[in-house]
Amino acid sequence: MWAAEKSRTNPLIPYAATISAVRELTLDVNLFQVELHDGGGFAYQPGQFAFLSAFGVGEAPFSITSLHAEGGPMEFAIRRVGTVSAALHDMEPGSLVGVRGPFGNCFPLDDFRGKNLVIIGGGIGLAPLRPIIKTTLGHRSDFGDLLIIYGARTAQDLVFATEFEDWAAVPGARLELTVDREGPGWEGRVALVPAVIKELQPSAENTTAIICGPPIMIRFALAELKALGFENHQIVTTLESKMKCGLGKCARCNIGEKYVCQDGPVFTFDQISGFLEQL
Amino acid sequence: MSRFLSLDGLLAWLDGLLKEGTVVVAPTLVEGVSLYQPVPAAAEIDLDGGATVLSPKEWLFPQSHTLFTVERRDGAAELKEGTFDGRAVLFGLHPCDALGVHLMDVPFLAEPADASYRERRERTALVGLSCTRCRPECFCTSMGTAPDDPAHLDVMLTPVEGGYAVAAASEKGEALLASAVLEEKAVPLPEPPVPDRLPTEDLPRVFRALFGHAYWGRVADRCIHCNICSYVCPTCYCFDVRDYSRGNTAERVQSWESCQAPGFARIAGGYEPRPSKAAKMRQRFAHKFLYFPEAFDGPLSCTGCGRCVRSCPVNIDIREIIGDLQRIGVSSVGSGEKQD
Amino acid sequence: MVEEVRDKARELLSAGTVECVIGYERATDGITARPLFAYSPEEADRFILDRTCVHNLARYLLDRKGKPTAVVVKPCDSRTINLLVHENQIERDKVFAIGVTCPGVVEAHWGETTEGLQSRCGSCPLEVPVVYDHLITVPGERQPRTGFPELEKLEAMSPQERLEFWQQQFQRCIRCYACRQVCPGCYCPICFVDQLDPMWVGIKIAPPENQVWHLIRAFHLAGRCIECGECQRVCPVNIPLMLLNQKLTAEVEGMFDFRPGLDAETLPPFATFRKEELEAER
Repeated sequence: MWAAEKSRTNPLIPYAATISAVRELTLDVNLFQVELHDGGGFAYQPGQFAFLSAFGVGEAPFSITSLHAEGGPMEFAIRRVGTVSAALHDMEPGSLVGVRGPFGNCFPLDDFRGKNLVIIGGGIGLAPLRPIIKTTLGHRSDFGDLLIIYGARTAQDLVFATEFEDWAAVPGARLELTVDREGPGWEGRVALVPAVIKELQPSAENTTAIICGPPIMIRFALAELKALGFENHQIVTTLESKMKCGLGKCARCNIGEKYVCQDGPVFTFDQISGFLEQL
Repeated sequence: MSRFLSLDGLLAWLDGLLKEGTVVVAPTLVEGVSLYQPVPAAAEIDLDGGATVLSPKEWLFPQSHTLFTVERRDGAAELKEGTFDGRAVLFGLHPCDALGVHLMDVPFLAEPADASYRERRERTALVGLSCTRCRPECFCTSMGTAPDDPAHLDVMLTPVEGGYAVAAASEKGEALLASAVLEEKAVPLPEPPVPDRLPTEDLPRVFRALFGHAYWGRVADRCIHCNICSYVCPTCYCFDVRDYSRGNTAERVQSWESCQAPGFARIAGGYEPRPSKAAKMRQRFAHKFLYFPEAFDGPLSCTGCGRCVRSCPVNIDIREIIGDLQRIGVSSVGSGEKQD
Repeated sequence: MVEEVRDKARELLSAGTVECVIGYERATDGITARPLFAYSPEEADRFILDRTCVHNLARYLLDRKGKPTAVVVKPCDSRTINLLVHENQIERDKVFAIGVTCPGVVEAHWGETTEGLQSRCGSCPLEVPVVYDHLITVPGERQPRTGFPELEKLEAMSPQERLEFWQQQFQRCIRCYACRQVCPGCYCPICFVDQLDPMWVGIKIAPPENQVWHLIRAFHLAGRCIECGECQRVCPVNIPLMLLNQKLTAEVEGMFDFRPGLDAETLPPFATFRKEELEAER
């Protein structure tokens, strides 16, 4: 393993790290705990991401789903969808990986204080929202009402299902789950996430909405929120993009002139409305 | 009085640098194609040629190179960085290419800097060559430079009778010239040629207003989405990073990539943010004329060298596009939020 | 004769027979040509037709699948239509081929053209397009066939000499893939060089990878190359790609008596299996 110094002087060189634990969240999503070999680790804020390297296969960006303030190792909820994620899924605890980070901006917590929050997640999109959910649940008095709308294709695709009960139990917090398709063992709501927004009619008054999910869900959720009177500056999203450097240099992750790796991944909609077709 | 270097003196100077181990990268003919290459002797340099097909950027930003390797052995893992140890002279840069180096410094040296670029950049001296003629595709004066502009160079040479007028433009340049035999001589400098001017006023604002315009689809109809424009361009800098695996060794390679390449922005899972030909082709121009000036607060990412004009197989002409955008104009669009 | 092109285009567009007519217009250098996609009769006024019209416009049919399109095709270009119909890439009834006879085309790169014809014209067997819906006869004496001297030179080399020759050529390849992008035969949704798993070639722009790229591409085109010469024209570093493709064309013709795209019926040898081949004498 190599010293952390190399990574500090060359931003393209990953920190040496190991996967310390793996937990299956769904059939194709695993929760990976990652610990740096040297230097203890780096501080990160809700919304930020890091690159994980499967050496010899490649490197890809993943949102950090743990809350640094809670202590404990860095966590990533990763869906098996490409070559790097597949390589990570094939690894046992103890395997060598590389980590580069933290990158990107973070959720504007100061702007959220005192506001009601509507947190809308789709599928694996719950992963970057989890640290902000944990923050607001852990500091209830700093924030207004909390409504979490979360859906996935089927009940088996809901991630972090073991934490739902705890979230719903916090006073002032409301968790509304949904799935796109009914299936065995699911007694709850069957509807697309945007339809649930329409059903629940959250008020736009002193409220900020935070959306994360597949681009198509974001588009339709955005439309429902606008119909309820939410304005662009009241809607926050976190976007994913193909990335290679995280430094604003390889120049591929842009939405318009905003680089998702530097100006994002957290954006308010008034920052990106001019280039929405590139969502 | 200015300093004069005869042609023989120039060749001797460069051969002297070569002898002491400096890599001299200069325009040279490779099977009839003019390219910047390390030369074994000064005589191999194509001093009178026009623009090279490729820009000199590949010396500071190689077509592909190893970032690092990770070798695993006996439960341990060792990481070795790729390094560049030598010293180099980039010779024969016309002012458009000197501006190109400067514009490439902007993203790569912005903190945190790209370590391998910075290393090569610090170890490379830039020796420029003033232009005695313009080609029909040149438009450097529209991009903030000129055929005789010494900016961003360490040494500037201007071709005159029998040799070159010499000016050092930096301390590095002065040090480099120490081994050259220079004469004090009154040398009249030639009138620089005058390339055509393009209407680049307010281009980022115009571009933004016309972002969703159907114009892009019409130009993109003939685009074949190869990598030529991006690769010949002195300021296109998008890159790819990919891992190779051989036995116990993993190698991470950084290489050129063009926004026109398939899968450039495609996310795992298949989502394509720029699926249409129009959006894809527009991305290159948007980067040069809108995103780069906005992100780095200033210049357009273009030097007016005209290489893309000359090399595009279907005549997508950046000069024509600039003119068309201005002609279509901001006034023809409402709020600028029109989507195509 | 150019008026014939314009008239036909105007007629097709006005009648709504096609949505678009792809032809040639003058490029920004004032001397070469470039593709023009005309969507209205007025735009058809810009069409030109002369010896600088080197592009294979039929390649653009791959971008317009299912959309009624007219395209101006020289004899070599017209073979593209047969090839792509054979390979189920385009529908014949969505294509209106405006065929033009051809006395040969010149070397044309931005800012300059040659006096003499492209060398491939010297070995072209065709004067009239092999498929067309409307034929325009271009006046002009066809130059006598000169054969293909570069190919003869290559064939006279020993295998070792040929290896060194091609290694020398591929060294300056920058992997711009213009040869692939312009080629009507290269339309794989994911090209083998872009595959990650397995990574056949990778992103290193270096001689070994360059060689693999060109050689495999040549083999993928063997028996399919319709000899439009576009790959060589677009190469920014002048790699003589037609030499490679025509060598393989000659090999396939020698083995199977087949040249692709010449008619709509003959099945390509590599996509066809006949039981007799099992029993054929080696």
